[in-house]
Amino acid sequence: MLRTTLAGLVAHRLRLLLTSLAITLGVGFIAGTFVLTDTIEQGFRQLFTADAGKVAVAVTPKDEDIPEQVLAKLRTLPGVAGAQGLVRGTAPLLDKSGRAAGSTATSGISVVAGPLDRTNYVSGHAPAGPGEAVLDENTARTRQFEVGDTVTVLDLAEKRRQFSLVGIIDVGVDQNLAFTGAVGFDTATALEMTGEKGYHEVDLAAAAGVSPETLKKTVSEALGQTYTIRTGEELAEKLALDGNVQLDYLMLVLLLFGCVAMFVAALVIYNTFNILVAQRTREMALLRCIGATRGQVFRSILLESVVVGLISSALGLLAGLGLGALALNVMGRFDTPVPAGASLALTPRTIVSGLVVGLLVTVVAAVLPARGATRVAPIAALRSQVEEQTFRAGLARSLIAGLLLAGGLALTGVAIWGLGGDAGLLTAMGGGAVFFLGVIVVGPVLMRPLGAFAGWVPRKVFGVPGRLAVDNSRRNPKRAATTTVALTIGVTLMTLISVITASTRETVVSSLDEQFPVDFMITAQYGRQDATPLLPAEVPATLRALPEVGLVAELRQTDHGGAFVGSLPDGAAFRPEVLSGSIAALGPGTVALSENQAKDLGARVGDTVPLDTAEAGKVDLKVVALIADGSLNEAMPYTVTVADFEKYYGKIGPARVYVKAKDPAAVDASRRAVESALLAYPTAQLSSAAEVRGEFDDAFDMMFTIFAALLGLAILISLLGIANTLSLSVHERTRESALLRALGLTRPQLRGMLSIEALVLGLVGAMVGVVIGVAFGWAALQTIPNETVFVVPVGQVLLYLVLSALAGVLAAVLPARRAANASIVGSLASS
Amino acid sequence: MGASIALTTMTMTTDVRAAVVARGLSKIYGQGDAAVHALRGIDVSFATGAFTAIMGPSGSGKSTLMHCLAGLDTVSSGHVHIGDADITTLSDKQLTLLRRERIGFVFQAFNLLPTLTAEQNIRLPLEIAGRQADQVLMDRVVETVGLRDRLSHRPSQLSGGQQQRVAVARALISKPQVIFADEPTGNLDSRSGAEVLSFLRRSVRELGQTIVMVTHDPAAASYADRVVFLRDGLLVSEVTQPTPQSVHDMLLKLEA
Repeated sequence: MLRTTLAGLVAHRLRLLLTSLAITLGVGFIAGTFVLTDTIEQGFRQLFTADAGKVAVAVTPKDEDIPEQVLAKLRTLPGVAGAQGLVRGTAPLLDKSGRAAGSTATSGISVVAGPLDRTNYVSGHAPAGPGEAVLDENTARTRQFEVGDTVTVLDLAEKRRQFSLVGIIDVGVDQNLAFTGAVGFDTATALEMTGEKGYHEVDLAAAAGVSPETLKKTVSEALGQTYTIRTGEELAEKLALDGNVQLDYLMLVLLLFGCVAMFVAALVIYNTFNILVAQRTREMALLRCIGATRGQVFRSILLESVVVGLISSALGLLAGLGLGALALNVMGRFDTPVPAGASLALTPRTIVSGLVVGLLVTVVAAVLPARGATRVAPIAALRSQVEEQTFRAGLARSLIAGLLLAGGLALTGVAIWGLGGDAGLLTAMGGGAVFFLGVIVVGPVLMRPLGAFAGWVPRKVFGVPGRLAVDNSRRNPKRAATTTVALTIGVTLMTLISVITASTRETVVSSLDEQFPVDFMITAQYGRQDATPLLPAEVPATLRALPEVGLVAELRQTDHGGAFVGSLPDGAAFRPEVLSGSIAALGPGTVALSENQAKDLGARVGDTVPLDTAEAGKVDLKVVALIADGSLNEAMPYTVTVADFEKYYGKIGPARVYVKAKDPAAVDASRRAVESALLAYPTAQLSSAAEVRGEFDDAFDMMFTIFAALLGLAILISLLGIANTLSLSVHERTRESALLRALGLTRPQLRGMLSIEALVLGLVGAMVGVVIGVAFGWAALQTIPNETVFVVPVGQVLLYLVLSALAGVLAAVLPARRAANASIVGSLASS
Repeated sequence: MGASIALTTMTMTTDVRAAVVARGLSKIYGQGDAAVHALRGIDVSFATGAFTAIMGPSGSGKSTLMHCLAGLDTVSSGHVHIGDADITTLSDKQLTLLRRERIGFVFQAFNLLPTLTAEQNIRLPLEIAGRQADQVLMDRVVETVGLRDRLSHRPSQLSGGQQQRVAVARALISKPQVIFADEPTGNLDSRSGAEVLSFLRRSVRELGQTIVMVTHDPAAASYADRVVFLRDGLLVSEVTQPTPQSVHDMLLKLEA
């Protein structure tokens, strides 16, 4: 029996390969995920270990920075050969146009010299003296600075200081520096520029013959519990762990997509084995005739699946290596901190999980078809004609489908109206998954009506081949359902993501319009203060003096004593949506509360609430209005008048300044005026609604592209499934095709017929996916507590339908060619 | 004599004119040592409005001859004319269109599309050609084959004999120049076979149809007007107005 199975497999190498491809891709994705994350992790580890070699002991503060005298004390400890304090603060770099670069201030760091230097230089050398600085590679590239240029950096007093750029450095895997960019000075200059009072880390080198552990003990005894003290190795370990948290998250997300791909692959395998069994009915029956038992037939199919599973998983591992390398390359291009030059890591975990998952999925998917094979009666060997598969929805199928569909809907209902929030979102997605299982079970029943619906136009337009194709697509509803459901999964998820991104985008845009009832907004660069960055107090007055500017409204805010308080900006455009009370009543000694804050305090209009202020101590405020929380939660918990705000918190600078052009037709002119007025304040960031919207758009597009690329694999696998099903159908209908050719169907017509069949299959799969995707996209949005707009991106969804139909046609190209090129006489004779 | 020649000439150009003519037809499968000469130069013509049977022992080349005559297979050398068209010079597309317009087929098995009803199967060749069925002809054909109450059935709901009658009706409906039937009764019991054969003969008599049938059954061949005999790829003999006995005798003689 074993030999028969293997001989059969060898005889059908091509079929084996096609079947394997689905599993290969799925395993490749999962293995690729492991390869990618393992490679990054190992790369990090190597870097940290190399760094750790230079440092014997590292001292880091638990809260306050390490002051100078502690550094001095460390230098005097026995066994310390050298000690260097590392400075990190902010030092806003100005770009070539003289504005502060980026929405977050550049980090200012110290670059140490000597044996404790861990800096990697891309070019140039370390800064020596107060006139020299280095820049990180990424900032240098985006802001177009080169070694030899002069760079301008703001000091603590916002004064422009010029440095000669002497080196470009690689900040490596430091996420923080990678985000803000870094400008490096010698230690003294770094302290001066950032205004830091101490060091965020002190590295120690050990004297000859002193082990890091000994030194660590000495330092611990000297410093006590105030600081965390690690040996170089421990430091490397900690840094690696920090990196791993993010890696684990990345791995989880990728594996989730891998699971989707594997599920689709399982459906494809299930279908393929089903068809293989149906096709080899006579072969099996012959085996039964000559004495093979049911068990032997069952085992022979399972054995076949084991061989297919093993081979394809092994190929999948290879594909995983390739995918991992590709992903590393892509991530490197997108400035993600990825250790450069790390060799690909293929760990035992990758190999074992890849093989096990691939094998398991293949074998499990083949069990049902193998059971079907045991039901073949020996007499089937003697029948000449393959029996048409008929399908009737049995009671069991109807019951299970009903339970799953109802259960999925119920779960989703509970999620929307009962839970809400994160738990609601997860439950809604769980409900979606259960509902989808129901759709898979009920699929064969849906195939006929949906096929008729999707085939309505082709039937009318393409004449006889069209009609025959639509009939053929509905001929074996079970097979067609399994084939299309694989595509449905991909389309459902794509639609879901489209609906969610489009809705969120629309929500953001509409709330931006609310937030931006003006032409420009001016904010301060992040990074200088820990709290909300504030603009210089004189900025509003400077702008009001400009003739091109109309309204200048300022929002002041502070978070004193844990309470966020804002002032109500001038101008009718800033009147928020009032739930109860009246915003016009906001006067001295009163407050407007946000919806959520009122709920937390249990306060209503007319009540009095206490507020801890900076200058006026504790005050009691009368609540005059409740303000609706917008979709972005932009309402301040407490809103008071400008005069009260100044009384409570002093004359602090505004957090935001809103500007309206005097002449709506001359927005550009007023923008130029505002820009030149702001030249004196390089860290003030000027933005318009269009720019902010553009940034959001970029972020959404990026996210959507990534999801689409990850889902692309699942869709590709489902297309393999369509191609597989069609080629096997073509094989089954060899004589039918020959008959049609004899009766006068031309080759192009026969090819067209198969293409239309695939088109109908693709369309049906996509239609179901689009409906479920939209419905559950809506459900997911309902679980989000904030007010969200529901938008169906009709164009995108239609595009999915068209693309699915075209993809079906593409999948039919090869099978259709084979059918059309077959010799009529040969096909008529074959049985 | 003169009158007779005049008559021959006249009939040649009208009803006695051949529907299908093969000249020097040969078919070789394979190459070199493995070459099999299935047909070795056959000259034969099939008269319009006649029912001709092609017979011969197994491997004599009778099916190959039919495939070549019908344009289903290519020839190695020689020519086949169907009406005024030399089908050996046609492209696949032209050949397909010619089959669509001028040729009907009845095969031994698997004649019908399982997804279509009997009536849809009958109309299929016309619809492929984008033509309307002649309703009078349709009624007549359906009446003759006795399928009126079976028209909405699918092939799986019909007996083997009924399926073959549907196939014959389908071949007739497009009024082709010639119908090729390949062992049309090969899978049928003798009663169903007789029904199909008499129906074929009636279509020749009453509708003036031309039929060329390949068979190995002398009883089936006896329904034809003329039987041609093949052996080893050569046309060796023929019998007109055959009876089962005369065909049987000829076969025995050929196999001797």
